Amino acid sequence: MMYILEKKKVEQVLSAWNKAFDVYAPQKVENYTQFLPFEKTKTVALNHAHNTRYPPKALFFPQSEIMLKYNSRLGRFEESGSKTKPMLIFGVRPCDAMAFSLMDTVFLSEDYVDPYWKAKREDSIVIGFGCSTPPQTCFCTTVGGAPFSHTGLDAILTDLDKAFSVQVLTNKAENLFKNLPPATEDQINEVKKIQRKATESMAPAFQTSGLKQKLDLIFESPYWETIAESCLGCGICTYLCPTCFCFDIVDEIQRKERIRNWDTCMFRIYSQEASGHNPRPSNKERTRQRLMHKYSYWLDHIGEIGCTGCGRCVCYCPVGLDIRAMLQTASEYESEVARA
Amino acid sequence: MHDNGHNPYKPMPMHVVRAYYESNDRSLKTLELVFDRKADQIEFFEKFNPGQFCQLSIFGKGEAPFGVASAAWEGDFVRFTIQKLGSFTQYAHTLQAGDPIGMRGPLGNGFPLEAWKGKTLVIIGGGCAFSTLYALTKHVHHPQNRPDYDQLIVVYGARTSGLCMYKHDIQSWHQRDDMQIHQAIDVPEEDWSHHVGYVPDVVKEVAPSPKNAVAIVCGPPIMTKFTLPVLVELGFSPESIFTSLEKRMKCGIGKCGRCNIGSKYICKDGPVFSLKELQELPDDI
Repeated sequence: MMYILEKKKVEQVLSAWNKAFDVYAPQKVENYTQFLPFEKTKTVALNHAHNTRYPPKALFFPQSEIMLKYNSRLGRFEESGSKTKPMLIFGVRPCDAMAFSLMDTVFLSEDYVDPYWKAKREDSIVIGFGCSTPPQTCFCTTVGGAPFSHTGLDAILTDLDKAFSVQVLTNKAENLFKNLPPATEDQINEVKKIQRKATESMAPAFQTSGLKQKLDLIFESPYWETIAESCLGCGICTYLCPTCFCFDIVDEIQRKERIRNWDTCMFRIYSQEASGHNPRPSNKERTRQRLMHKYSYWLDHIGEIGCTGCGRCVCYCPVGLDIRAMLQTASEYESEVARA
Repeated sequence: MHDNGHNPYKPMPMHVVRAYYESNDRSLKTLELVFDRKADQIEFFEKFNPGQFCQLSIFGKGEAPFGVASAAWEGDFVRFTIQKLGSFTQYAHTLQAGDPIGMRGPLGNGFPLEAWKGKTLVIIGGGCAFSTLYALTKHVHHPQNRPDYDQLIVVYGARTSGLCMYKHDIQSWHQRDDMQIHQAIDVPEEDWSHHVGYVPDVVKEVAPSPKNAVAIVCGPPIMTKFTLPVLVELGFSPESIFTSLEKRMKCGIGKCGRCNIGSKYICKDGPVFSLKELQELPDDI
């Protein structure tokens, strides 16, 4: 079912939802937008052709999260965290919603369920915001997504200038929108046109067929050294990545809390062992781990690429390393070796 | 799966029941832990098999993974031998009988004991990595388990006699007629009546037959590296050689990301792998 939500009514609708949900929506912060708790006085920033800088994964998997509180060093502890209302996230780009589904396979895997992710994620509602004009850094269509992909979403908005169309995708979203006027046939056709145009505007960014096999093959090759030469190892590509899920567990002694923090395979200490040995001693091994994880190991695990093409790592790399170029070079690497 | 009340990050409350030094230089200390809650104990022993590890947890110091060094039949305790290296292990060495501690586990796959039934076990260990092999040997020693396996051959090397762990017990193994024990130290010492030399050389000398046998190798990387070719030369196939790996770990349940080799997580898919499995993984150890 498709409904029409007038743009001037967005804040009013979100305010109404705030009673039953903790509503999050992208809002302007300095030069960027970020998912923040929605309040009546705030304006929702859905008018830019760009994504939030900080990925919405943080709503389910905060950058720093208390796991347990304890009383004394060896003493007893209590579990942390109790939320009152389910979360409703409004305006999530399809790449980030697809990332939620990928992260579910890690945190909700059958053998061990992560209770912190589950508590926030299981009754949440995700309203997507499709991308009519995908920026140059985006490459979702190359990695199995689309600017109007439905994966991980309960409903998806399309920008119709003065209003949004709302395609309802799940039953739990139906209740939220059923009082809105339905879309006319003209509007439905307009939405289809916008969505098709957006998808067609995105050319393949690199060669994905046979890429995994190629990466596995060149694991030992000097290819990785050439990348590592320009990488600063700052880790911003992993911090802003919507699918990076690695975390560290540390005890905050003064606060008497066991917390988990986002961690990154781009740091030396991430894999540093107590004996002094480090299996990934330089940027070469660490960059390789980052790319191999997304484009080989994820495929081994669930048969899908662990990258949704959001382009944040492309936008925010301080030295302009572009994962698309790195992967294209990798896919062509063997022939260069043969020539040498 | 052990979810300890649906939160696998929640340590089980435990107490130290015995704590003693294992080596004369006091770098190795053994802690034997008992459960505060009967339900935890029952659940643990339902799941435990040798080769698995646990995360020991000390609030304020964090957590670190240690291989279990006891067999289930030994009693209602869980044994760990801890080398003093960083701030966690430094603190762990100060623990005494009666002190509380947290534990998560058992974690990891453990040794494939079912698949090894009927076979000769060649157990090769060096240094403090012998702890899980000690658990394996103890498991096999039990009169109910011993008939499940053919010969039992143990090679255990340490740098010095003072660093040999579980001394009194292993001393008694020399008198057993259901096993062979070959102990070695790196350099000669007075009153040492066993092998002198490095583990790979001792294995070469002992020359266990690969016939209907599996070899289990745990030790420092350098020992493992030089022992594997010896076994291959003796005729052991990659499918019949096993080792247990270590890496920096945090969660122990395949979430936090850091202990992978290729697409395998050591904490969840390992720590025990056959050489064949390792050969199929990238060199990221």
